[in-house]
Amino acid sequence: MNNFGVIEVAGIQTKATPGWAYVPDTGPSVPSLQPANRKRAARNLLGLTLSDLTARQENKLRKDLEALSRDNGRDVNIAIPPRKGRDKKQTPNVRRILQSQKTFVNYLDDYGATLADGGNGSGSASANASAVQTKASTPVAAASPAPTTMTTTTTTDVEISMNTSMTKRGVAAAKRAAAREKTAPVVEDVEMIDVPEEKQKEEEEKEEEEEEGYPADGSILPAYKKKPPQKHPGDEDPLLVSVVPPFPTDEELKSLMTALPLSYFDARATWREEEEGRYPVRVFCEVCGYWGRVKCIKCGVRVCALDCLESHKEECVTRYGL
Amino acid sequence: MAGQKSRIVAPPTTTLVIDNGGDTIKAGFVKPDHTDQPRIIPNCIARDRHNKVYVGAELEKCKDFGEIAFRRPVEKGFIVSWEVQKEIWDRAFFDDKSPQKCNPSETRLILAEQPNSLPALQTHCDQIVFEEYGFASYYRGIGPTFNSYQDIQAIFHTPRTADTIVDFPAEIILLIDSGYSSTIVTPILRGRPLQQAIRRLDIGGKLMTNYLTRLLSVRHFDMRNETYVVNEMKEAACYVSLDFKGDLDKTWKGTRGERREDYQTGAGIAKDYILPDSHTRFHGVLQEYEPGASTRARRGGLSTDDILTLRNERFVIPELLFHPSDIGMRQPGLADLVMQSLSALPVGLWPGLLANIVVVGGNAKLDNFIQRLQMELLERVPAECVVRVARPEDPVISTWLGASEFAQHAHAERLAVTKQDYEEHGAGWVARKFAAGLGVDGGL
Repeated sequence: MNNFGVIEVAGIQTKATPGWAYVPDTGPSVPSLQPANRKRAARNLLGLTLSDLTARQENKLRKDLEALSRDNGRDVNIAIPPRKGRDKKQTPNVRRILQSQKTFVNYLDDYGATLADGGNGSGSASANASAVQTKASTPVAAASPAPTTMTTTTTTDVEISMNTSMTKRGVAAAKRAAAREKTAPVVEDVEMIDVPEEKQKEEEEKEEEEEEGYPADGSILPAYKKKPPQKHPGDEDPLLVSVVPPFPTDEELKSLMTALPLSYFDARATWREEEEGRYPVRVFCEVCGYWGRVKCIKCGVRVCALDCLESHKEECVTRYGL
Repeated sequence: MAGQKSRIVAPPTTTLVIDNGGDTIKAGFVKPDHTDQPRIIPNCIARDRHNKVYVGAELEKCKDFGEIAFRRPVEKGFIVSWEVQKEIWDRAFFDDKSPQKCNPSETRLILAEQPNSLPALQTHCDQIVFEEYGFASYYRGIGPTFNSYQDIQAIFHTPRTADTIVDFPAEIILLIDSGYSSTIVTPILRGRPLQQAIRRLDIGGKLMTNYLTRLLSVRHFDMRNETYVVNEMKEAACYVSLDFKGDLDKTWKGTRGERREDYQTGAGIAKDYILPDSHTRFHGVLQEYEPGASTRARRGGLSTDDILTLRNERFVIPELLFHPSDIGMRQPGLADLVMQSLSALPVGLWPGLLANIVVVGGNAKLDNFIQRLQMELLERVPAECVVRVARPEDPVISTWLGASEFAQHAHAERLAVTKQDYEEHGAGWVARKFAAGLGVDGGL
């Protein structure tokens, strides 16, 4: 491990042994900037699975989290109060559903099993959903461009080519567009008074379409129609120019909008591998909730200072090897 | 498509809109001429310490919430136990004496569900709706999506001219629904959820209440059976800290023998919470911190009140939303959740989404929630992006209000399924139709 030339003398590993020992407090996690050993990456992962989290602690953590998602502090069994006048005939489906005693975990397990079985995740529900989609959605009407947007085609082309690939032509087109942007304001600066109205309008339109760089028109998200704000000399300052990201094409948007739902598992956000350990895990005093700066040498619980350490020790019971 | 079929039966004019949440049901009727305010019904069967059982809205009659236990039909945001749910619905909508009497055969049902549900649970829901209740027409849609049928720009107080036409659904929003069971980020484009970018954080109001219960049980006294009381306390006292480190320092009592000024005076953070005593007072009261009040009460026995002094508990609880790793949960915090969601989308959509972040759900009521989120997002997004975060006036009923607007929108007609359709094509077809959603078309 590259520790910038610093050699560690004391071992990181701590063992709960009887008696006492000075223990280096290595902190909750040391984000290794460049993991030297790519092999057992999962085991060497930072964060909570670091050496100071043993299997036992991990287990405790899991149980704690489970306890936090319970509805009641204790197990309760509340029967539904009986009522009279309820002998409506029920269909077999309804009877089955009502009598089912399954919990969410049961359903989730079933679902996981279907997924593992090679089901597409949504079972029968969305097997043919794509087929329905194509039926349900009438083909994208080539929204007849409004008169003002007739000339935008050029800009659209530029946008698309920038999007798809930075081919030579794309770059060239982009450059041309940029050049146009630069030259145009010069024209605009000369506020002509006696230009016929029509011409002026045309020019304004051109300004709107070419200089302002509003996203290209699409049938899903049409371009901004209103007049752009007043020109300002600072607009051309290269330091102030903001980057407008390429606008997604209709095709992209369409596929996003008609995509099938993710499964319950996929929708749960987790850290991606490269992100894990981006933030150091914070540890708190188990007694008062302040930063956990001191570790109990018996059980490894964090406390903030002597006061809390003492109140912790009163109830700190650990057996060796527990 | 069903919509184009010559229909003999006219679509029902009355719509029952239900947002069936983990903690409360938000329900109300939408009629062509008039929309009711939603009624908020506790979605649970509760039993108090005298073994009296309350179903749904009957909980209002309960006075003493000490040691109350709950049984809930909704787990993790999805209706799991229909046995319980049916009982609650029956009493709320279908009994002779129920305040929102509903005749299903002449009513359309619009039901909001959480995204990424399990297909089995969805099928159960559809079957119950048609086979048990027999609604004439029905749509089960993703809750967050309904929010886009509201006037979103009004929430942001976007300056606009009087003649601006408000178009429904809103063009683009990033909806964060932080409710009882979980917190979900849903980007929505023209009323269609961008399914690939929906992300869930398994932290909701329930977990936060339970965490507060745990902290209090360790630091003060056993509150493990007092879920209701602790939840009230959480709602009254908790806030999102804008300076976590600083606040934590202010509430630290210091090392041994140290008498820290901030700790002694409370530094504006410490508050006293007077617990209900179940004789004269049935709800807790939050008070300004009075140094020594708690010890006085305990030692002298001057008052029988149980006074809890809340210090860092006030902001450590909501902090979980932003740092789930504080309790060992290996999930990104809310701001990173938003970033993960965005990273699944083309960069071109980022500015639009970031400028229109709406937070709904009960947790949005926490003080400083939106400010903190905005602050954290600004640190993460490109400097050019405008980040606007807002919450509607009442974040709890926001989804319901959106759904009631949706009920009057043409989209409802397009998406709803009739009982005849269900009988003809079966549950699988219905599920597929709902999953397909609006699709994309020219008319939008």
